[in-house]
Amino acid sequence: MVGTIIWTVIILTVLGTALAVVLFLVARKFRVEEDSRIDEIEKTMPGANCGGCGFAGCRAFAESCVREGNLDKNFCPVGGNETMKKVASVLGIEAVAKAPLVAVVRCNGSCANRPLVNDYDGVKSCRVKATLYSGDTGCPFGCLGCGDCVSACAFGALSMDPETGLPVVDQDKCTGCGACAKACPKNIIELRPKGPRGMRVFVSCMNKDKGAVARKACSAACIGCGKCAKVCAQEAIVVADNLAYIDPAKCKLCKKCVAECPTGAIHAVNFPVLKPKPAPVAEESKEDVNNG
Amino acid sequence: MASRIVSPNPHLHAAVSTRSLMRDVVIALLPATAVSIVFYGWHELLLVAVSVASCVLLEWAITRYLLKKPSTIGDFSAVITGLLLALNVPSTCPWWVLAIGAVVAIGVAKMTFGGLGQNVFNPAITGRVFLLISFPAYMTNWAVPGSIGEAWGSSVVDAVSGATPLGIVKEGLASGMTLDEIYADNGFSYLEMLYSNLGGSAGELCVAALLLGFVYLLVRRVIKPHITLSIWASMFVFAGIFYLIDPSHFTDPVFNLLTGGVMLGSIYMATDYVTSPMSRSGMVVYGVGIGIITMLIRYFGAYPEGISFAILIMNAFVPIINRFCHNKKYGRA
Amino acid sequence: MANRTFSIGGSHTADKKLSKDCAIEVLPMPSTVYVSMNQHLGAPAKPLVAAGDTVKVGQVIGEPGGFISAFVHSPASGTVKSVAPRKDLAGNSTLCVEIAVEGDEWVEGVDLSDTLVKAVPEDRAFILDRIRLNGVVGLGGATFPAHVKLNPAPDKKAECLILNGSECEPYLTSDYRMMLEHPSEIIVGAAIMRRALGGCRCVIGIEDNKPEAVASMTKALDELKASGLEGYEDISILPLMKKYPQGGEKQLINAVMGREVKSLGLPIDVGAVVQNVMTAFATYEAVQKNKPLVSNVLTVTGDCLPIEKQHNYKFRIGMPLSYIAEYAGGVPEEAAKIVSGGPMMGKAIANLDAPTVKGSSSLLYLTEDQTRRGKESDCIRCGRCTEACPMGLEPFLLVKLARNAMMDELEANAVQDCIECGCCLYSCPAYIPLLDIIRIGKGDVMKIIKSRPRK
Repeated sequence: MVGTIIWTVIILTVLGTALAVVLFLVARKFRVEEDSRIDEIEKTMPGANCGGCGFAGCRAFAESCVREGNLDKNFCPVGGNETMKKVASVLGIEAVAKAPLVAVVRCNGSCANRPLVNDYDGVKSCRVKATLYSGDTGCPFGCLGCGDCVSACAFGALSMDPETGLPVVDQDKCTGCGACAKACPKNIIELRPKGPRGMRVFVSCMNKDKGAVARKACSAACIGCGKCAKVCAQEAIVVADNLAYIDPAKCKLCKKCVAECPTGAIHAVNFPVLKPKPAPVAEESKEDVNNG
Repeated sequence: MASRIVSPNPHLHAAVSTRSLMRDVVIALLPATAVSIVFYGWHELLLVAVSVASCVLLEWAITRYLLKKPSTIGDFSAVITGLLLALNVPSTCPWWVLAIGAVVAIGVAKMTFGGLGQNVFNPAITGRVFLLISFPAYMTNWAVPGSIGEAWGSSVVDAVSGATPLGIVKEGLASGMTLDEIYADNGFSYLEMLYSNLGGSAGELCVAALLLGFVYLLVRRVIKPHITLSIWASMFVFAGIFYLIDPSHFTDPVFNLLTGGVMLGSIYMATDYVTSPMSRSGMVVYGVGIGIITMLIRYFGAYPEGISFAILIMNAFVPIINRFCHNKKYGRA
Repeated sequence: MANRTFSIGGSHTADKKLSKDCAIEVLPMPSTVYVSMNQHLGAPAKPLVAAGDTVKVGQVIGEPGGFISAFVHSPASGTVKSVAPRKDLAGNSTLCVEIAVEGDEWVEGVDLSDTLVKAVPEDRAFILDRIRLNGVVGLGGATFPAHVKLNPAPDKKAECLILNGSECEPYLTSDYRMMLEHPSEIIVGAAIMRRALGGCRCVIGIEDNKPEAVASMTKALDELKASGLEGYEDISILPLMKKYPQGGEKQLINAVMGREVKSLGLPIDVGAVVQNVMTAFATYEAVQKNKPLVSNVLTVTGDCLPIEKQHNYKFRIGMPLSYIAEYAGGVPEEAAKIVSGGPMMGKAIANLDAPTVKGSSSLLYLTEDQTRRGKESDCIRCGRCTEACPMGLEPFLLVKLARNAMMDELEANAVQDCIECGCCLYSCPAYIPLLDIIRIGKGDVMKIIKSRPRK
């Protein structure tokens, strides 16, 4: 009995030691030399592996940073300037600050604004729908409403508003990674600078049809009339292909264009609400999209 | 203008749904159920009712309160599980045993995996095997059916009980008798087996009724014959070889096909969509596997029947069969 | 003995040919036609006219925009109103020439008579030129320019020209009517194509649910053979068992020749060229009559239409679909979906004001009950999709892979071989949108395959 126990102990000990030696030797032989800075950088990353930086994940991003030795091409939109400062300090270089971006949905073709002419009966996917036809409404440029952007968002910042049928961006959760913009087959989601205290002005429409056609399809469409461009002192607004675009770099947030737009296609968000005087039409539509 | 439907092609759909397929299986099981109720009487009716009701209720309760999903009982799959479970136990079995079987079949084998389509093992067989191991006394107390009047007049307790043909054979062989002696003692004949008044599970009372259901399933294109036929063929060949070697100790092929739940198992349970392979070649591999394992258990194992175990074992192999067996692709070797 | 068919998969779709007894009627011209510059597979045509120009019927108004492209001819005589984008049936913009119709004056050199010209021209180059210049494209659905297919690379030899008269889609009857009403023209067209390919054999495959078409074509073929003219030897008619998608190029080759085209290969690799019977008719008109392809036959049908409102129309390309619908008596109340093409592979019309194109083959009205998809439920692994797939694929597996974007696995499981026939979704008892998802996966995988350097 005792003999059995002793033997068991001896055999297990010898076996364990032998395997440990093997493990040690193998680990030594196949050791991979890795720059310790990769680990350090990875630790500073948000760890969402969202791919917003253009790499497969945070580790791949860290490897690239170390390989390049600079941050010219690498930027983590999720961590933003804070994280990039830390990454830069690991690499011993200076980080260049970038303005934080936020996803902006450039379509205001809500159920009320854009009457349905078709009834989609396929799989719930914007991609499938986009390859099939132009959409349920008369507007071939607008939101398809199947929520590909919502499923693409790794941060839960997007949701579909059942009332309007349009995606809504929660700007506190949005990291500006751009996954939604890539997922949208109609390219209606644009990454724009967040703006001071979140204030920004943009054209919430992508319709390039002629004014009358666009208006017929959607009452909130940009009809390319150009009034906004005329009123803009900064020359920040360009009208091309019947569609106005506000360059965020030039826009001084004066909101003159918002008041001028006949269809309310230009949205201004996060501006402090002015004195409670009777609001004109443009003001009203602005409040609709306060989360825009 | 009213809005019109737009969708990718195709714009039509075959007149088939999960519900219609499952309903067809229920219809195919009706003759066998009817025969067993007619011959075993009130108690059998109670067993079928308890089994079906508890399976359906359980599935409804689990989807409603645990998974919080829309109920799936409308697809009839729980009804099939309940029916099969009831047909797979002896008619003398107490009703509460079946209720426990339903918990294992639906609760454990089906819903824990996520419901219809997700389960690895056939729910009814899992339930049956659980009962066989847990309540061997109830599960092997086979009733020998009497005449119709007898069944409906008398109570369960009076039912004549006896072993199944395979059980008798196994015992006889173990006690050193030869097959000829056993047959002579018990007077089995093939004809008897076809409409059968031998002991067995409630559902295997009448092989002809089961075959009728098989034909219905084939005609309605609910199942393909590959699995069932390859089970039969492999059992026949396997048993045939051993029977030719030693007819006094190995039962003959036809006897093996007609007894021990082979018909019930091979037609209704081995062909369960969810737990059988998708490709035709895979189906054959699966069927042959079931046939051989069944015969191995019968000839060399401890249990006289074996097909339930064989199906369960092969269920586990289905993912790997699916990985290696594919239908022929166009333009590829 | 049952007739031949393809060996893998297929669906037994409903054998509905409601409008089969409606003779072909000629539609009168509307006041305006819109001729799309994108009527064929490949690069869109470039418009050669501008607003204010006067055009005649048959005049070239668009020239090919690439190697795989085709000429577009004016279907009407009148004045060009504009050359501008218009919405096609899917609601996407395509460049269209708008013509205000004035009279029906044809260009010079077109034989407008009905006399059958039986003698097949000798010169291959002449035939191919006429086909190309008259804008003939495949009218079986894909609208692939016909002269490209009839002029295979010099290292490839055509052994068999297969004429597709199967019309395997339910409801469609335009090919059937043409085979009844113009069998001789179709066979002359086949003989011309045969000549263009260097004199291979020719098989005309017709599904056996159209015995009248088989009889009519056989009679016409016998007459032409008896005429003693050259070019009609080695043409035969083969009845095929009714099974969808018999008219699929790969399936038809398999049914007729017993061969299989390799994955991503072309029919010519196995010595086959497949053309539709309507294409043969267009070829006949282009070569024998020098008549450009400006008209086609279209079926107006559906279960919700009374039989007297079902029609087979000979239409000029560019007529708005809505005009045809109105002329036929309006869109029925019960029509929940309007399909252009067959119910299995056709396109749902999102914009009925879209103009007809060379490949338009039907206005099919489907009711809500017929076409609304059932609620999707879990896969029960019944394997019906696998059984139905005529390419032998495993749609249930491909869907799982595509939903998880597993590109390597998708390619290994041959998603790129999918012909999008719709058999999988048609037969799925759980109403899983198999084809919708597989199509996306196929697109992604094809992109990856094409981006690889060629060996």
